[in-house]
Amino acid sequence: MPYDLQTWIKVAAFAGGGLAMGFGAIGAAIGEGYTAAQANSALARNPGSVGTIFKSMLVGQAIAESASIFALVIAMILLFSNFTATSYVTVAGLLGAGLSIGFGAIGSGVGSGFPAGAACIGMGRQPAMSGRLTTNMLIGSAVCQTPSIFALVTSFILIFSDFSKVPVNPAWAALLGAGFASGLGAIGSGIGGGVVAEASCEGIARHPASVRQVTNIMLLGQAITQTPAILGLLVSFILIFKKFTATDAIAPGMALLSAGLCMGIGAIGPGLGEGIASSGGVRWIARNPAFTGTLTRTMLVGMAVAESTAIYSMVIALVLVFVV
Amino acid sequence: MHELGKIHQLIISLGSYDLTFNLETIIMTWIVCGLLITFGFLASRKKGILPGPFQVIGELFVAQFFTLTEDALDKKLARTYGPLICALFMFLVLSNWLGMLPHLEEPTKDLNTPLSLGLMGFVIAHYTGMRSKGVKAYIKEYFEPIFFMMPLNLIGELAKVVSISFRLFGNIMGGSIIILVVSYLTYSIILPPFLNAFFGLFVGAIQAFVFTMLTLVYISVQVK
Repeated sequence: MPYDLQTWIKVAAFAGGGLAMGFGAIGAAIGEGYTAAQANSALARNPGSVGTIFKSMLVGQAIAESASIFALVIAMILLFSNFTATSYVTVAGLLGAGLSIGFGAIGSGVGSGFPAGAACIGMGRQPAMSGRLTTNMLIGSAVCQTPSIFALVTSFILIFSDFSKVPVNPAWAALLGAGFASGLGAIGSGIGGGVVAEASCEGIARHPASVRQVTNIMLLGQAITQTPAILGLLVSFILIFKKFTATDAIAPGMALLSAGLCMGIGAIGPGLGEGIASSGGVRWIARNPAFTGTLTRTMLVGMAVAESTAIYSMVIALVLVFVV
Repeated sequence: MHELGKIHQLIISLGSYDLTFNLETIIMTWIVCGLLITFGFLASRKKGILPGPFQVIGELFVAQFFTLTEDALDKKLARTYGPLICALFMFLVLSNWLGMLPHLEEPTKDLNTPLSLGLMGFVIAHYTGMRSKGVKAYIKEYFEPIFFMMPLNLIGELAKVVSISFRLFGNIMGGSIIILVVSYLTYSIILPPFLNAFFGLFVGAIQAFVFTMLTLVYISVQVK
């Protein structure tokens, strides 16, 4: 029994919504559980500051959940909107949108649980620094959300752009690839950013006098850790907005799909690795702030080397899009 | 919902070229520039030992970012680059906050603004590198560790421009889309002010600071 276009659109919207919320639920839950565990261990050490620790646990968990809420928003839009499409490309677009935010919410959810947990532990050890720790945790968790916001931008573009004039054959693969590129690409950077913020919260609790340097270098480290996710966003923008010529062959489409997969999967490791590199820098700057300059330089060089594999992935992805 | 992704453009044909102007971005950038110039005028009009409110805010900005520049570069270079860093932050933070006012939009929501600022930082950083190290040592760095790494080093440098500008653009654009969509879904009840506080005030300030810090670090990496 053949199905008409409208049925396929509905199928894609439902499948995309399910994938978005299903994958999107993974990360935040892990992050929140980690925060709660750390809060309990902090409470056991210092039962006197139960009020501040409990409050900061809840605030941290609320921020960790925002990535999942982005996925929920996309899932609701996919389930309850009426898409009047004129082309089969929209099917791929809706599916890609769901995949993008679904994968993209994993990293940020896991990542922003780390600083919240470290802040709880820090408040248990050093109750006098609660205010600064909360500020630092809020900044760190908010910057952790950036990769999931990139995935969200891609999802919105995939849902609301008008694809009625693009040729069906290579474009379906390009849109799916765009979803994979920014979705998978956000995983590593999200977790990596969390690792950096965790190190900074820990460092502030250990050595409160170093708070200014630690917060600054944390922001710097998190920002550079996001580079792989940004390269994923760039590749997905290229895949969405480049004009392709219509074709009957299957090879060009496959090249575009694998460009997205290459960039997305290739960005996971560098994001995590840069986060680990930067967390070392931040942790030891907190212990020895007098050598901030030297430590920062080493950290930056190390991160640049860890990033090079993301750049290899981007080169291969661009070759797949433009040359093959 | 239909406001999403709509851009007002003015297209002027010059021979075979089309000049495209994004009108909203240009007007919003002028508004930011106007506000900053007014602020600068008010802050420096009556300078005194007993400062007025504008002078206090101005001194706060200048002192903070001058210290930051001194930490990253040395004292001599900080005198050259301090004003740039300070001005960059003030421009960006005001741009990111502008969208909270009704009928106004963030100029940074248009990729052209972050990209041009990122290119500006890139050119300045590399010019500084050439001046401080000499052109020969500067070029030699691209052929390290082995000569055939040159194309990848070059792409790595260009990736910096992409990452710095897409980071700002993605955050501001994503924030404004979320505010728009959630306001639409909840019929603008209760949630929008909190979303504006988070994505406008908080994320806007953080991203402006991150952009400024990264520009500064790119310059300092080239110097050392």
